[in-house]
Amino acid sequence: MELQAMYIQVLALVIFAIGIIVAISRRNLFFVLMGVELALNAVNLSFVGFAKTLPAEASITGQIVPLFSIAVAAAEACVGFAMVIMIFRNKESVDADSYSDMKG
Amino acid sequence: MLLHLLVIAPFVAAILMVLNSRDDSNSSSRMAILMGVAFAVMSVALIVTGNQATAPMEWFHIPGTRGPVYYYLYAHGLGSWMVFLSCGLSLVALISARSTTGKNYRNFAIGIFALMGAMNGTFLAADAVLFFFFFEAMVIPAAILIAGFGGEKRITAALTFAIYTLVGSAPMMVALWYLLTIADNSLLLSMAVAIQSLPAEHQALVLLSFLLAFLVKTPIFPFHGWQAITYSEAPAPLSAILTGAMSKAGVFGFIAWVLPIFPLNLNYISGLMWLGLLTAVYGALMALRATDGKRLLAYSSMSHLGFAVAGVFSLSEAMLPAVLVLLVAHGISAGVQYFLMGVAERMTGTRDITEMGGLSGKNPVFSFLFGTAGVMALAVPGTAGFVGEFTVLLSLWDLGPLPALVGGFCLILSATYVLRFIQKVIFGKPAREYQEGTRTTALEGVAFGSMLVLLLAFGLHPAFVTNSLHLFDEATPEETAAAESLEGATAAPADEHPMTEDELRELDSTLAASGFSEEERAALMAQIRSMEETDSAAVQDSAVVDSLATDSSSATDTGSVVDTTVAAAAPETPAVETEKTEASENE
Amino acid sequence: MTYLPLWFIPLFPLIGTILLGTIAVVSSGAKKGPSEGLVGTLAVLFPALSFAVVAILACTMPEAGLRETLCNWIDIPLFRADIGFLFDGLSRIMLLFVTGIGSLIAMYSIGYMHGDRGFARFFAYINLFLFSMIVLVLADSLLLTFLGWEGVGLCSYLLIGFWNQDIKNCKAANKAFIVNRVGDVGFLLGMLTLVTIGGSSILNYDGLAAFIKMIFGANMVSEVVLPLSLAGALIFIGCTGKSAQIPLLTWLPDAMAGPTPVSALIHAATMVTSGVYLLARLGLMFSMLDQVLLVITFVGMFTALWAAIAGLLQNDIKKVLAYSTISQLGYMFMAAGVCAFDASIFHVFTHAFFKAALFLGAGAVIHALAGEQDMRRMGGLINKTPVTACVMIFAFLAIVGFPGFAGFWSKDLILERLFVSGPIVGPLVYVVGLATAVITAVYMGRLIIMTFFGKYRGSKESEEHIHEAPAVMLFPMVILAFGAIFSGYLWADSIGITFFRDSMASVVGEAQALYAASNAVSHVNPVIFAALGTVAALGGMFIAWKVFGHARIIGVKGASTVPEGSAASWTFLWDYIHCAFIAGVNILAWFCDVVVEKVLQAIQWTLAAIVEILGDGASVLQVRKVRLQLAFSIAGVALLVMLVVFSGGLV
Repeated sequence: MELQAMYIQVLALVIFAIGIIVAISRRNLFFVLMGVELALNAVNLSFVGFAKTLPAEASITGQIVPLFSIAVAAAEACVGFAMVIMIFRNKESVDADSYSDMKG
Repeated sequence: MLLHLLVIAPFVAAILMVLNSRDDSNSSSRMAILMGVAFAVMSVALIVTGNQATAPMEWFHIPGTRGPVYYYLYAHGLGSWMVFLSCGLSLVALISARSTTGKNYRNFAIGIFALMGAMNGTFLAADAVLFFFFFEAMVIPAAILIAGFGGEKRITAALTFAIYTLVGSAPMMVALWYLLTIADNSLLLSMAVAIQSLPAEHQALVLLSFLLAFLVKTPIFPFHGWQAITYSEAPAPLSAILTGAMSKAGVFGFIAWVLPIFPLNLNYISGLMWLGLLTAVYGALMALRATDGKRLLAYSSMSHLGFAVAGVFSLSEAMLPAVLVLLVAHGISAGVQYFLMGVAERMTGTRDITEMGGLSGKNPVFSFLFGTAGVMALAVPGTAGFVGEFTVLLSLWDLGPLPALVGGFCLILSATYVLRFIQKVIFGKPAREYQEGTRTTALEGVAFGSMLVLLLAFGLHPAFVTNSLHLFDEATPEETAAAESLEGATAAPADEHPMTEDELRELDSTLAASGFSEEERAALMAQIRSMEETDSAAVQDSAVVDSLATDSSSATDTGSVVDTTVAAAAPETPAVETEKTEASENE
Repeated sequence: MTYLPLWFIPLFPLIGTILLGTIAVVSSGAKKGPSEGLVGTLAVLFPALSFAVVAILACTMPEAGLRETLCNWIDIPLFRADIGFLFDGLSRIMLLFVTGIGSLIAMYSIGYMHGDRGFARFFAYINLFLFSMIVLVLADSLLLTFLGWEGVGLCSYLLIGFWNQDIKNCKAANKAFIVNRVGDVGFLLGMLTLVTIGGSSILNYDGLAAFIKMIFGANMVSEVVLPLSLAGALIFIGCTGKSAQIPLLTWLPDAMAGPTPVSALIHAATMVTSGVYLLARLGLMFSMLDQVLLVITFVGMFTALWAAIAGLLQNDIKKVLAYSTISQLGYMFMAAGVCAFDASIFHVFTHAFFKAALFLGAGAVIHALAGEQDMRRMGGLINKTPVTACVMIFAFLAIVGFPGFAGFWSKDLILERLFVSGPIVGPLVYVVGLATAVITAVYMGRLIIMTFFGKYRGSKESEEHIHEAPAVMLFPMVILAFGAIFSGYLWADSIGITFFRDSMASVVGEAQALYAASNAVSHVNPVIFAALGTVAALGGMFIAWKVFGHARIIGVKGASTVPEGSAASWTFLWDYIHCAFIAGVNILAWFCDVVVEKVLQAIQWTLAAIVEILGDGASVLQVRKVRLQLAFSIAGVALLVMLVVFSGGLV
């Protein structure tokens, strides 16, 4: 059975929603980051899904771009975690709600 | 190559400085000074070798604009001399800072090199966006250096400086973007063409945004709020660079960007000239009352630069060489005065000139240099300052006796405040007891001395400076014509057919005959071919350009500079003409 | 025939400057100064060499003069100037006494400056001064003359403030430079006016002469006379600054703060006469500007009278001489005002000798009295310093115009020329000039009497130390005294010697002929003027003897040499006028500093404050919780997307 493009998008949407919900509702920073990561990957998935609908040559382009965004996401995760660890050292807490120093 | 080196290599040098140990200021200073010497030598080479340009490279494309932004460097007499000032003053600053910055020397040198690269970029950029990029980039290392190495109120000074100048040039950024949306690309000529098609109110708005950036940078009354505090709080070597080289970016902007691009009417010209004269008088009067030595020098710089701006907008035939000599003279003499003021501050531990005095007895060598520098700032004949001020006065006299009288009044005032300055610092008896700091080192003495010798040399033989402008006269059409060839022969008459292969080959052989090297010819050929391809798209624009040449020459009866630039913008066969000019120069 | 190159003349003092300057800077850190013998030799050698060159050139010079263009100086569109020299009858005379007297005074200074810490520095300045003065005189264009012009002003500044530990000297130096700067700006603007009339070639003296002749040839005098008058008037302002004429005369008395040889060389013999030189050099131009000439005559007349009266009230021996210099310069300007340029240069020439002798004599007196300058504490010195006294008395006889002495010939010549210059103005100016001559005799007689006759009025212990100056100082004085006696015989009209006039004729003859043609000149027997001049001199001396010879002069206690009572304000009236200008500038500066600057800062501050307030307001919208912010931003994105979708796309 041919995989319907629509299903992939629905799946991506579901994963994206889960990611966002996790990022917003959890107070533990690590979960927030995981949620963000999940949302990001959902977008990658959606990208690939759309690429599948194109003819073969153009489709390749669409599948390459997620590779880039995965690389970027990895880098971003590194920086993000580093920052979280630094903040944790200062605050001794991973509660996102306790990080409110940025408000002027 | 030289151009690339002068712009890119300072940044590389700044990165290389990081390799040095943070604590060993000796090794880092040795490396920094060696590199500084290399840059100074390169800048001299730039002046000696005359006009040159790099091959334009597409850099990026700003959304909403029609053409790409080029990384395109171009040196003409004016820019080369400004680059000389920036490199030379940076070198002396690196030498002079050895005794003041101590352990942090490495970081200071990093900042100076970054600043130097940005300044060189500003003076050499042939592309408006590139120019603006460097113009803004200058502020950042300067502000960081002030915040890191300045006096007591350094943070305030750095913030004032950065915010004031950045805000001042923000309207220019918007205006530039607006211009780019209607111009073919961001080179001088296409912008000059584009501005013609705007209604008068828009023209005025764009012009004012440009003017504001340069007025703030120079600075011209009433936009000088940042200047006194910045120059007085910055470390003296940096102040020297700021006033000697960076502030020239303002005047440079007037000459190299505002005058060629905008069709100025008489109101603007005389308004700006009077504003310049007002600044000259105002700065001199403020300098009369200043008690902080660096503040006094800041106001004196303001006075001189106001005079230079007045000279620029006198728009007489003698304007360019006159202003150039004045700028070079002011750059060196104000620079050396700041350096010496830094030494005085180091020795006495204060900037307040009423608390100094009697240095002539304590340190005669320093006083000799200080007195000589002061006298040279007075524009005594035989020094470069005199040639500059005399010729600028000559330009002002062209407009009538009143501007020249005001200029003469400034000369009297400048004598007054400089003599007062000299008297308070080196003559009389020391105003108080103090712990004496580091005296002038031998290397410093030599550096300052050679700056003074340069002033004398340029004063007795200003042809060193002015001769580079003979090239400039021919250079303007060359630059603009080169710009046209980039546009894909936009300016070519609509009925001219693209060049055939035969014609190209013929041109190639002509070039070979007139002594072009293999690579040069290849580059030129490639350029011509590439412009051939985009030709058809741009043909309809040519009508605008043709009409422009006649329009502008009749509209701007006062602006001789504007005339020559724009009128030269539409030669019959731009590509060939360019090469002829180049060929004649090569011979 | 080949001649010595002209650039040799300024070259020697320039080398001297560089050498001595290097010595001064290098030795400045050392405990002990450089060898005075070496420095002194160098300091005299180079001016003397330059004098030798001038002397050789002066003998071999062709009638038309020598011209030499060294190189290009400024070459820009609209303006071109060369560095070139011109050696003719006028510059010959000037150079002869500039380098000659310069060498003598340098020699004198070796004795005078003995033991001073700035010995080498002093001679470096002197050599620099001679270089500038030579350039001023030898230049073939106004612009190069201006180089020398400002150069001598600079050296004057450096030398007045030579003892810079004392802030009073520095102030006097500043005053001299700034007042001169006012004049210099006039000169500068005058040059600019000339350039706008006839292009940059007109700044060259030959070019200017050619231009004037061209105007006469084309009969266009009436068209250019107005701008030329403006140029002439502006240049004359420059001359009043340099030559201390009304209204810019105040700096010269203060300039006496410098070492005495400097006063002799710069502020009496050479620099201050450069204004007269310039007028003579531009004679052809001035001869067609009647209005300007009239102004020059009256400025000279008032200055001569004013300064003579002021000289009567001084107590400081050098100040008397300073005012006398101003007064004599007034004579020269009067003469120049009636186009008697040869007479005025002749007076410059003789004046250089006797005034330098007077100053050097005064210097020897001050030297003998260990720095005392107040004449009220002198007296009776003729017994203690006979040579100095003789020199000064000879010079005194020369300045008052005693028959046979130098001043007699030159001053009477000027008075004669004044009288015959015109129907009404001539006799008027003549009478004032004659009255001034009487006053001159009175105040100079007062000086001589107070210094050399009567009883010594200083303290007892200082009397012991009074000594005659060393030979190195006396020798130049004696030579100058000879000059003061005999230099007048170069042009003794009454006995038929006109050597001086003939040598000048090639330069200024044309201008004077032009002026004489337009102003009816009646010839009067010169003997009458000589007789009247003699009567004036003798009368003045008689009055001086009557008034001061027997008057008891009260010795003073205080250190001040300023005239007492209302005399001070009378003397320094021009200072008050200058002060009014300075006060005006100060008020303007105060206004800028206190009002304008503060207003600008307030505007700046207000703008910044507004931005800050707005920022504060905007920060209210921030939410404290990170997660809530995230949710809001996601909601925002969703909102945007929906907006785009429901409004039918971006485009």
